[in-house]
Amino acid sequence: MSFLYDDGQMAIATESRRVLDARMAKDRLLPLLEQVGQYDEPFWRTAIEQGWTGLAIPEEYGGLGLGLIELGLVAQATGAHTAGAPFLTAGYGAARGLLHGSDVSLKEEWLPKVASGEKIVTVAFADASVPMPPASSVRFENDRLWGAKSAVVAGQRADGALVWAQHGKEPALVLADLSQAVRKPVNSFDNSRLYADLVFDGTPARLVAEGDTARRIALETLSAMAVVTAHEQLGGAEELMTMARDYALTRKAFGQPIGGFQSVKHRIAELYGLVELARANGIHAAASDGQEHFLIAAADARISATEAYDTAARDCTQIHGGIGVTWEQGLHLHMRRARSLAIEQGNLLFWEDLLVEQITGVAA
Amino acid sequence: MTDYDSYRANARTWLQSIAGEFGREARRGLSEEQDLALGRRYLASRYEAGYGGIHLPVEFGGQGLSHVEKVIFETEEMGFGMPIVYFSISLGMPIPIIIRFVKDQAWVKERVVKALRGEEIWCQLFSEPAGGSDLAGLRTRAEPDGNGWKINGQKLWTSWAQYADYGIMVARTDPTVPKHQGLTYFWVDMRAPGIEVRPIKLADGGHDVNEVFLDDVRLEDLQRMSPVGGGFGVAMATLMIERYAATDSNGFGPSLDNLVELARGLDVNGRPALQDGRVRSAIARNHAMRAGLDSITARAMLAMQAGKEPGPEGALNKLFSVRSRQKLSEFAIDLQGMKGVSFDPDGLFTEDWTTSWIAAPTGRIAGGADEMLLNTIAEKILGLPQDHRPDKGVPFNQIPA
Repeated sequence: MSFLYDDGQMAIATESRRVLDARMAKDRLLPLLEQVGQYDEPFWRTAIEQGWTGLAIPEEYGGLGLGLIELGLVAQATGAHTAGAPFLTAGYGAARGLLHGSDVSLKEEWLPKVASGEKIVTVAFADASVPMPPASSVRFENDRLWGAKSAVVAGQRADGALVWAQHGKEPALVLADLSQAVRKPVNSFDNSRLYADLVFDGTPARLVAEGDTARRIALETLSAMAVVTAHEQLGGAEELMTMARDYALTRKAFGQPIGGFQSVKHRIAELYGLVELARANGIHAAASDGQEHFLIAAADARISATEAYDTAARDCTQIHGGIGVTWEQGLHLHMRRARSLAIEQGNLLFWEDLLVEQITGVAA
Repeated sequence: MTDYDSYRANARTWLQSIAGEFGREARRGLSEEQDLALGRRYLASRYEAGYGGIHLPVEFGGQGLSHVEKVIFETEEMGFGMPIVYFSISLGMPIPIIIRFVKDQAWVKERVVKALRGEEIWCQLFSEPAGGSDLAGLRTRAEPDGNGWKINGQKLWTSWAQYADYGIMVARTDPTVPKHQGLTYFWVDMRAPGIEVRPIKLADGGHDVNEVFLDDVRLEDLQRMSPVGGGFGVAMATLMIERYAATDSNGFGPSLDNLVELARGLDVNGRPALQDGRVRSAIARNHAMRAGLDSITARAMLAMQAGKEPGPEGALNKLFSVRSRQKLSEFAIDLQGMKGVSFDPDGLFTEDWTTSWIAAPTGRIAGGADEMLLNTIAEKILGLPQDHRPDKGVPFNQIPA
């Protein structure tokens, strides 16, 4: 379904953007790129202070009880600033997975702390290059985990992880206590995402769901995170389009603003098209949460947002010419984030296959 | 159920009730003359049923409803393949524009009702050999002739002129001023002496467009619809007047479901085509693009229903849908291997990929070429500068031809 944002939702969009415009600084983000283990703490404090950590967690667990539409709007604002410490989307995903599981004590123990920002949780579904394997190589037995997950977002800091594992012959979703996992930090092109390989050697874990229920919850959780990420990608793509437009209006060459040349202005107009398609699909997907076609809508949103952000990162840099490739100018913050977000929550290959399976019934 | 929902449901019920008589299946195998005659009968039925001129004022024979009902009806009607193509220009631009700019109301009402009933057809005499995207570069001359005007020149790409009873036309009344300032807007009787229509055969074999030669065609001054020299403004109003029209994220080509069904019966490297990654990627990318356009359209409808102006992103529809339809049509032909070379001259471009492919270039040029649509987005939405135009401010007769 599609809809028009109401006044309350517009206020969330405006206010989150205003707060981040005032508090984010590219000069603070650039050094983080070259440091393993660091993230933008001022942003995280802002996220907690603004209630974004609990925005989409039900009120009975200390959250604000809003949904994907509102969280999407916040993600859009964070995407514009390449802010979004890694915990926001992953934390929402892990909380959502727990919420759909059957263990009430697990919800009562974790959700209020995730909502308040006291605890950080993440999601570890992928095995190496496969975003959600039919059978994970990580084994869950007797409330313990064995195996490894590669490059888990926020893996260097998270207190817990919702892990896609295998319990005998059945898949299982479990919450692992990461204080008893081995974390191997990954040196990445986008280091503030805090990627770490996680090694489980008898790490304590609690069952959230198993069998077909686990599969359904995991896929639905991944889709919901993909919709949040799609909004973050949209925010980044729109910001890059605006930067390209502004630069094309001020930079002069051959006696006129470069935006007067069709090769440049058409490139920006094409970006506008990709941004609006991504926005339309993002809105539709967020509003489709809980409906039968949610996976299809999430896949559409994910595909068009990835295409928009990737293309905007390439073309905005190209339009800036030499200045666009300098460290100081910082466009590479977006270029890097476009790639890291394109991989987190499943790459395009995964979403294309999932979408086609959903609409044709034929698996890859 | 809102009023709009029930309007849609009623429209669909009516369309279903007459689909057997006028719809896609009834039209199969008809000659163009037979199809046109069927179209005229369909329009008469549509008018009797209260779906003619939905958004036009009651005093001119319309239904007096809003653009919302109009778009709802058009969207529903699109699925039935009714024979309306001959009337799309006529009812889209000329009819609303004569309501606005012709003073003789009784005459206008008679024309509107006859056009809505399919008894008369209007064409739009705008493009010329020297002026398509650059409309203001047109060269057809209108010179004072007693108390009227005398027209000489040539129009090009005029859709359905071969069936038209009347036309709206822009001509140059003053070549000594800059090009936009020397134009004047008229209506013409297509049966007037001196008018000759020659159909043009297009690459897809169709001949819906024409050359129109105007040789000393005499017009009365009451046929003038703009101030002398004020024709460009009315021309712009003409191009804007059908802003609220049904859109089709299929780019007026076959649906994606159609491609999926085609692929279901085919193999690639001995495996089902739907398991091939390239096929899956093409389906997924096009699905995402079309879903985005559909969502843009759905939100535009919601905005209109709420009495708000739809966002400017509606401008993306034609650009993105037709361009991608062209590439997807190529892909659908490739997918069939050597079987893809066959061609059905009676194929419909909404269901046959080869027909869709060969007609697609027309879609990317007619009604605003891709490049002009990109210019519009860049300039009107994003505020980027207009192209460098060496003819700006130069008297028309001093612009190098």
